Formats: sequence, C-alpha cells, structure tokens
Amino acid sequence: MTERRTTVSGDAAQLPVLVAFLQQFWSDHSLPAPEAFPFELSLEEIFMNVAMHGVTATHRPQVEVCLKHADGGVILTITDDGPAFDPLQAPPPDLEADLEDRPVGGLGIHLVREMMDEVTYQRLDGRNLLRMRRRLGS
Amino acid sequence: MNVNIENNAGILIANPEGRLDFGASANFQSLLEKSIAGDGSEPRALLVDCSSLEYVSSAGLRAFLVGARSAKSAGVGFGVCNLKPGVREVFDVSGFGRIIAVHADRAAALAALSA
Repeated sequence: MTERRTTVSGDAAQLPVLVAFLQQFWSDHSLPAPEAFPFELSLEEIFMNVAMHGVTATHRPQVEVCLKHADGGVILTITDDGPAFDPLQAPPPDLEADLEDRPVGGLGIHLVREMMDEVTYQRLDGRNLLRMRRRLGS
Repeated sequence: MNVNIENNAGILIANPEGRLDFGASANFQSLLEKSIAGDGSEPRALLVDCSSLEYVSSAGLRAFLVGARSAKSAGVGFGVCNLKPGVREVFDVSGFGRIIAVHADRAAALAALSA
C-alpha cells in the first residue's frame, strides 16, 4: 500500500499521466500538498530528459516510476531502458552568468540535485535507475 | 494554462494560473514575447504576477529567461512578484533571482517598474 509503480512509454505526451499518478499517490497517503512540489519537479525533469534524449532511431525507452512513503520521507525511483546516462555526471550550470550569457538549458538536473536530500544513480541490467529521496517536513 | 493580462497605466501585468510545466511553457513564452512586442507600441514594462502560479519546472524557467532577455533588448522593464514558496525555491536554487527582478508584491513591483 505504501509503494506504487506505473510504466509509460518515454514520450513527452505521457507527462500528464505521470503527474496524475503522483498526485493520486499523494492524496491516497494524505501527504501534505505543498510537499509534492519537489517530487513533481524531479519527476518532470528526469522523465523529460529520457523523452528528449533517451530515444534512438530503433528504440523508445519504457519508463517505470515507483513511489514509496517510508521513514518520514518519499522515495521516487525512475527506471528506463534507454542508453546509459548518469545525470549526476552532468556539469553544473553556470549560475553566475548574467542575463545575456545564461545558457537556456541544463537547469533541470541541477534543480533535482538541489531539491532532493539524496540522489543516486545505478546502471543495472541494461537500465538506468535513478533513486531520489526527500524527507517530508524538511 | 490560463494567463490573464491587464494593463496598468502602460505596464502590462500577466497573471499565469496553475502549472507552468513542459506542456505549458511554449505558449507562455510566446505570450510573454507578444506582450513585450506590444500592440502597435511597446509597453513600459511587463510584470508577471505569480500569485496563482502553483508550479514551475526548468521548462517554465526557460520561458521566463527568454522573456526577460526579449524585454531587455526591447528596452522594456521586466519583473515578477508574489512568488509562492515552491516557485520561490525554484527561482532561488536556479540563481534566477540574480538575473530577473523579483518583487515581494504588486505594489513594490509597480513602484520599481514605474521608476
């Protein structure tokens, strides 16, 4: 009951399905609504990364999302069978750049790292597994 | 996403409602750019009042960034106000507070943009 999972195709059009899945989990577990924000954000950033960059000429990844409420926090795990990609190896964006020089991309992973308490990556059985945890009430 | 726009003595105020996510960001960005270009003549400034904005992702931030850049090159003032805590956290963590003027409320924003 405290753990739920769903699988969608790595297609940007599936994002609303995942957002609805997360919101359903939140209300079923009576979790505080404002605390959903960093999880919705991380889900969108990581899923969109797979949908935009994980698709090859011959393969569109399947993306599995798992939510677990345990030990005063929520664990969001996103697994995909796309090409190996460790987002934690991405260089940090230049946050000091001024308006003209600010690159338009590269912020998503940074936001996830900052807003989650823990982020770990594993390549396991040909799949990327990103596990994110944040305490509730932190 | 619904965005109501009002005109306050030459300063346009955009009021986005709900979620500024990947799906909503392209329309929001073109709406900001259209507002900056103006209808015949450019506005004095564009203020985005975020009091009904519940959510923003990096795709939404990109729209703000492109909007702020267009405003600057057109010589139009640009600012945001009334950020809810979650949206505020995203602005802070991304360093956007340094490149976009963030005002506490509408009165402070209008005073700064009219100056």
